[in-house]
Amino acid sequence: MLRFALRRILMAVPTLLIMAVSVFVLIRLIPGDPASLMLGDLADPASLADLQKRLGLDQSLPVQFFIWFGNVLHGDLGNSITSGQPVLPLVFDRFWISARIVLVAVFIASLIAVPAGVIAAWRQNSALDLALVGSATVLLSIPTFWLGLLLLLFFGLKLEWLPVVGYVSFRDNPTAALLYIIMPVMTLFLHEMGVLIRMARASTLEVLRLDYITHARAKGLSESAVLWRHAFKNAFGPTWTLIGLVLGNLLGGIAVVETVFTIPGLGRLLVDSIFARDYPVIQGCLLFVAFVYVVVNLIVDLLYPVFDPRVTAE
Amino acid sequence: MRLPAPNAILGGAIIGIVVVCALFGAVWTPFDPLKINFAARLQPPGPIYWLGTDEFGRDVLSRLMAAAATSVWISLLTVTAAVTAGTAIGVLTGYLRGWTDRVLMAFNDALLAFPGILLALGLLAVIGANKYGIILALGLAYTPSVARVVRGTVLSLREREFVEASRVMGNSELFTMARHILPNCVAPLTVLATSMFGWVLLSESALSFLGLGVPPPAPTWGNMLASSRAFIAQAVWLGIFPGLCISLTLLGINLLGDALRDKLDPRMRGV
Amino acid sequence: MKISTASALGAMLIAATPAAAQTVTVALNADIRSTNPGVNRDDNTDAVVLHMVEGLVGYRENGTVAPLLAESIQLSPDGKTYTFRLRKGVKFHNGAELTSADVLWSWNRYMDPKTDWRCRSDFDGHAGLKVEKVEAPDANTVTMTLDHPSALFLDSLARTDCGVTAVLHKSSVKEDGSWDKPVGTGPFKFGDWRRGEYVTLTRFEDYQSPPGDKPDGLVGAKKTVLPEVKFLVVPDASTVKAALVSGAVDVAQVLDSDVPELSKAKSVAVGLYPSATKHTFLFQTRDPLLSNVKLRQAIAAAIDTPQLVAAVSNGNGKPNNSAVALTSAYYDDVQRQGYAYDPAKAQKLLKEAGYKGEPIKIIANKRVHVPSFNAAVIAQAMMQAVGINAEIEVLEWATQLDRYNKGNYQMMSFSYSARLDPALSYEQFAGPKDKQPRKVWDEAKAQELIEKASTISDEAERRKIFDELHKLQMETTPLIIFANGQEAWAHTKRVEGADPWEGKPRVWGARVVTN
Repeated sequence: MLRFALRRILMAVPTLLIMAVSVFVLIRLIPGDPASLMLGDLADPASLADLQKRLGLDQSLPVQFFIWFGNVLHGDLGNSITSGQPVLPLVFDRFWISARIVLVAVFIASLIAVPAGVIAAWRQNSALDLALVGSATVLLSIPTFWLGLLLLLFFGLKLEWLPVVGYVSFRDNPTAALLYIIMPVMTLFLHEMGVLIRMARASTLEVLRLDYITHARAKGLSESAVLWRHAFKNAFGPTWTLIGLVLGNLLGGIAVVETVFTIPGLGRLLVDSIFARDYPVIQGCLLFVAFVYVVVNLIVDLLYPVFDPRVTAE
Repeated sequence: MRLPAPNAILGGAIIGIVVVCALFGAVWTPFDPLKINFAARLQPPGPIYWLGTDEFGRDVLSRLMAAAATSVWISLLTVTAAVTAGTAIGVLTGYLRGWTDRVLMAFNDALLAFPGILLALGLLAVIGANKYGIILALGLAYTPSVARVVRGTVLSLREREFVEASRVMGNSELFTMARHILPNCVAPLTVLATSMFGWVLLSESALSFLGLGVPPPAPTWGNMLASSRAFIAQAVWLGIFPGLCISLTLLGINLLGDALRDKLDPRMRGV
Repeated sequence: MKISTASALGAMLIAATPAAAQTVTVALNADIRSTNPGVNRDDNTDAVVLHMVEGLVGYRENGTVAPLLAESIQLSPDGKTYTFRLRKGVKFHNGAELTSADVLWSWNRYMDPKTDWRCRSDFDGHAGLKVEKVEAPDANTVTMTLDHPSALFLDSLARTDCGVTAVLHKSSVKEDGSWDKPVGTGPFKFGDWRRGEYVTLTRFEDYQSPPGDKPDGLVGAKKTVLPEVKFLVVPDASTVKAALVSGAVDVAQVLDSDVPELSKAKSVAVGLYPSATKHTFLFQTRDPLLSNVKLRQAIAAAIDTPQLVAAVSNGNGKPNNSAVALTSAYYDDVQRQGYAYDPAKAQKLLKEAGYKGEPIKIIANKRVHVPSFNAAVIAQAMMQAVGINAEIEVLEWATQLDRYNKGNYQMMSFSYSARLDPALSYEQFAGPKDKQPRKVWDEAKAQELIEKASTISDEAERRKIFDELHKLQMETTPLIIFANGQEAWAHTKRVEGADPWEGKPRVWGARVVTN
């Protein structure tokens, strides 16, 4: 187990390396540069060249890469072009804001979605099944920016239960902070539920057909015992993998929710930095996300045997 | 000859309608879907414009019909590309393990950790902002998820008795993979593929919402949905109808997917 | 007795209007970039910073320049030396009195290349004008000497994107010379900046307002009654709308398409405010197709400007084909002569141009609050109606800006930021393409006229030059200007007097009327 974990961590090194290079190359392929954005429609060539020089953008790409990469190895992700802030603390602060919302949303979603999926599979093709699959599909096909706005208009404007705009950090006021993240969490969790219900249902369906379930039934175990002792546990495996994926996707995709609910999270930071071509921040964000991703999937893989006894970690 | 399952019939019917609409919409629509008419801005559904008009006075029904072909085609190609590439990587890495696994998964995870929006923006900027740019960008963005899920399934399968048995019987690796491993990936794959179909339809609209999108002037359900958002209170039908189209298509695909899985899943044969 | 009534009343008032409720919240669609005037900035940054700092001169509503920290400005007979007398009793936020030494210090800081002041090249001779000497003969007087007379010197000083060449106190920078926070003379002091969330400013109690009975651009009455203003970052326009209705935000720019809906809301009032922003279609006059003036004229004749403007502004905008803004003192009958919508003429011109259905690509973006995409959609339809094969390519803004700077386009739906003086406005798009590929109108005659307008100060003569320029531009059609900005701003009814100016929120005139 420990060796496996260590090896997985070592394996993450090339992943992060590939990530670093491809992030660097990809964002430089995108046209536009931070200097001309800062000057807007008024960029006369002399001041543009000046600014580019000051930002270190006049050097060749490989040189820029090695300077940046050398600093990264020393733990220095550079400073933001737009705000001048050091990237690492910036990314870290924003990450916690996003991570809290994502973790809560995925946790609630899996608590509800996995049992719902198991039940749907257990009563396959019944009205209950069709209703569950139907609602999962509808949830899946509402974009988060629509769903978020609907919640905002309903809970914020119509019922006036929840604040419409703004963000309060947990450090400042935990109760108020809770009020402010209810809607974003709800939006994410409703959306993710669609995926998770269907995944859990499919895995359970597969498990229910296996011989040992038939055996268990033949042995005279009650349906609920079969369902909980065998089906549920096995259905969790693939769903668990997907939860890892969803977590990763969410960190990228949370930008939409953060935009709707004005949350200063990592997703918003990334999108804003892309708009501003703030290269150090984009690179820092993505490297960080990649790192978190590797860690999350490592945990998922390490826990996989716990949920699916047929797989050994080695 | 058994009758197909009820979900296959329902799913087939829905998809049939969508396909007919798409084909029909390519040839004829009640109005020109690009024709601007300021006199008829934001008309609610009525006898002339059955599903109302949008902010440029364009007929929503005509746009939905014209969009069907584009949307379905983009999603289909993207999902096919991602599933094919992802399955190949997933099966290879999960079954062979060792160095192949390590190298391929290093790339896979790097790609996976790449937020789709950035990948899409970058590729679209390089390839050009067109249909095929979107397909390639989103296809590439979804491939690693498929690879991961398939690899997970393969990892849990390769220890099973029937795979062991095949190996013991002296079957080649390739045969074992094709005969015993691949069919067992169908179940999780159908789920993922059908979900992805929805994601593709929607991620285009999410990109557009963030201002990173590349909405072609030709309508797609995704960009209709995105641009309708500003009118949520004034003209809610602008969002509801494309949303319904996406929901229905997804439901149809899911039901068909279930039926397909029942047919392909080896353990279901002869039941 | 009298005293106790008054104090009781005072106590009641205090109880009725707690300080927090007096805060006015303004929505910004993106965070500010810094608090450093004219250095690291964009429109939002300017808007916030201009509440805290002031320059020697400032713009009035009508685009002319008035003294701000200066009490009077004298120009020497040779037109080269400006003498600014400072207003007395003006204090910085830290309590220090404003003197000519502060003006000198600020100016030297701006002209130091290390400061990266955006407008340095406009004053050091790079862009033609050079400030040769800045001196402080006494504590209340500053003189600035130019290398040649200029009609635009004061305009350039007052430019908002230059941070109005704000006079700052030394303590605005840290000991190592790096920026700390603005210690200026404006009606508000810097409060708290939570990056990505909000900026708060608090009232500067010792503020000395320039004369006037109401705000006029960046001058006029500026003393504020608000104890605090909060600029809240709200990126999504739909959220802004909801926040206005719920009262979480008091003042915000809203989408034109939201005006009808918000006008119906009980607690919200909507106003339309003109700005000198120019919404245009640019042509690349070096494109093999569009180098043909007849083709460009055909496109101009194919576009029904009033209809286009009505459609992109929800019926609120006014068409203007001239580079002189509708709000400008120089806008008159000549500028009113725009393109006539004439599809038949367009088709005739197309034939003469030998156009054979080659595709013409219009580049547009989907930023909020600019009509780029919608204008392109409508222009495309109008061009198709006369047989021009117009296509639209939607790019993200930074990418479009890159194409603009390189001149890499056929046609582009583009908006220029506001330049209040017509000469500065023309200068934005006219110039030699060889040196600056971003320039749109490359014509020696136009160049000559603009240069003349930059040196002559006489209003009547300048008017003649601008009229000539307009006619020339109509003839050659290097671009089609179709409207100036007409921005929709909403505010909750608890707040009054928070009228924006030139697309920027301006809250010193605001007061809270009810809670």
